Amino acid sequence: MNAQSAHVRVEPAQRLSGAGLMVRALERLGVTTVFGYPGGAIMPLYDALAGSGIRHILVRHEQAAAFAADAWGRTTGEVGVCIATSGPGATNLITGLANAMMDSAPMVAITGQVGTAVMGTDAFQEVDILGMTLPVVKHSYVVRDPADIPRVMVEAFEIAAMGRPGPVLIDLPKDVASALTDDGYFPAPDRPVAPELDAGAVEAAEREIQAAERPVLYVGGGVGLAGATRALRAFAERTGIPAIATLKGLGALPTGHPQHLGMLGMHGARAANEAVHDADLLIVCGARFDDRATGRLDTFAPGARVIHIDADPAEIGKLRAAQVAVTGDLGATLDRLGRTAPAIGSWIARTQAAKAAHAAHYDAPGDDVYAPALLKAISEAAGDRFVAACDVGQHQMWAAQHCRFSRPRAHLTSAGLGAMGYGLPAGIAAKLARPGDEVVVITGDGSIMMNIQELATARRYGVAVKILLLDNSRLGLVRQWQELFYDRNYSEIDLSDNPDFVKVAEAFGVEAFRISLREEVGPGIERLLAAEGPCLAHVMIDPEHNVWPLVPPGKGNIEMMHHSFKRM
Amino acid sequence: MIRTINCEIDRAEGSLQRLIGLVERRGFHIDVLEMEAEGNGGRRVALGVRARDSGRCFDVLGRQIDRLIGVRRIAAGREMAV
Ligand SMILES: Cc1ncc(C[n+]2csc(CCOP(=O)(O)OP(=O)(O)O)c2C)c(N)n1
Repeated sequence: MNAQSAHVRVEPAQRLSGAGLMVRALERLGVTTVFGYPGGAIMPLYDALAGSGIRHILVRHEQAAAFAADAWGRTTGEVGVCIATSGPGATNLITGLANAMMDSAPMVAITGQVGTAVMGTDAFQEVDILGMTLPVVKHSYVVRDPADIPRVMVEAFEIAAMGRPGPVLIDLPKDVASALTDDGYFPAPDRPVAPELDAGAVEAAEREIQAAERPVLYVGGGVGLAGATRALRAFAERTGIPAIATLKGLGALPTGHPQHLGMLGMHGARAANEAVHDADLLIVCGARFDDRATGRLDTFAPGARVIHIDADPAEIGKLRAAQVAVTGDLGATLDRLGRTAPAIGSWIARTQAAKAAHAAHYDAPGDDVYAPALLKAISEAAGDRFVAACDVGQHQMWAAQHCRFSRPRAHLTSAGLGAMGYGLPAGIAAKLARPGDEVVVITGDGSIMMNIQELATARRYGVAVKILLLDNSRLGLVRQWQELFYDRNYSEIDLSDNPDFVKVAEAFGVEAFRISLREEVGPGIERLLAAEGPCLAHVMIDPEHNVWPLVPPGKGNIEMMHHSFKRM
Repeated sequence: MIRTINCEIDRAEGSLQRLIGLVERRGFHIDVLEMEAEGNGGRRVALGVRARDSGRCFDVLGRQIDRLIGVRRIAAGREMAV
């Protein structure tokens, strides 16, 4: 490697290795930070990175590199970048690629590959990563000629970010990375002009809105992705139409906004599910009718006509027919709609009454920690700088239900894939991207173990993420389903032999402390948020505590099961 | 019912696999597949596809293919009774 890097450096300035050209491309594309893990086939790229101005964050597992790049993309709106070697490095990225694909996160993954001459021979650490990842990427490349690198890089970044964002894979064989080539011509990135809005569709949508008696604004993750938050809020406020959000749509309308009825779906708010059920019009903005949101499709919003506004034409009619479809710029569309406020006073009053009647209570009996109250309190204490990086399970649903979100990018959650292990690497990336934000990793004792090695990354780079580990010594969400739908046949959900998480964190050099009683919650939140560096609060909660309300699997959203504190 | 899809795709690594993989994953059988190289760096591909169940929408499949990068043109064609 040394011989080769020395070789590159004595070449005239305009001759570069393929890897050098790739690093130059990253710099020209404005990349400041990449997440990765080195290995044999990707060594030429690491050789070139060492002399560059790009900050490389060495994670401790490639899955974390992919999750971090995904969260970087979600946090900044820029393309997140992760790097791995061939074979096991590349396969370790796959969950992260699928996550970015499901949740439309802009990301470029660069994998090393064995040399072109031995590709297809089952060479050491060879896998067909292009073939393996086809269903979970927006696009992918194998670079066979170093001269193609500038074009491929510019295209990959464009594709990752444009329209509905997503992950792009670039597989770089080692010989292509090492070969010398001319410093390439970098095509200017194409700034695709948004297609003209279909004026006829916009007018048809406006007629639907004016004719509706019980309209509901259905807010999905696409609102934040499209930068349409301002337009959404303005539309909501000038029309007064009640709004509900999907898991990914939370925060586009601040969750404290009076018109926000809550999240819909399996663990949604009763007022939100009822409003959708009773609606005669859904104005669906950047959402895809995920089954966790809709419940049984044939009973979902049975009386509603649908206006579907989305950047991705392939989402129209996929699961629910739309009477009016507008594909294109979401913000521009909303700006043209709702020109006069529809006369829906009694509908607004009805939805507000339902919201008040079904509001969450936080006065659970007992002295043990009540997780919903804790999550509400920490989000309020952190204020508008709050960012939640969630893992998957009950804690994730409690966070969605009870935290206060004032912007869409404040809620990082693995929504479509539901991948345990997302929280910590996502939180690290979010804090690196926006050091001024108060990033809280909300995790469970199952999920944290999926990427706990990233405590070393937080420690190494001094990333002041605050980790709230809600420990019920169970795989809680699975336990809840076994309790409710499998006759309490508890199978493989017991984690009561968990390690001492405070000691584990301390062994990584991360400050940690424990909260076991409700009276410790206030001071605990203060300590966690005041910590200068990474800090972990290990919170003991009741293993029997369930997430309520709940739509049982296979049921319609209106058939919610309810909670009483006695059942906790 | 077999429906035909005619498209022109880039002659790039993975482009055919991407196309047929999508069709199968989205719930359609591929009964017919013909391909020929075009002079312009493209490939013309004709598919005869059949929905696996009644919940699959052919128009949505067309749009899913259309959004693939490297699909230059797509025409969703005739229905053929089998
Ligand atoms: C990678 C992965 N494996 C398995 C699952 C299935 N799963 C969903 S929630 C859950 C339990 C999570 O436990 P924990 O992190 O302790 O959170 P809790 O539900 O207890 O809050 C499991 C196993 C998943 N979502 N992701």
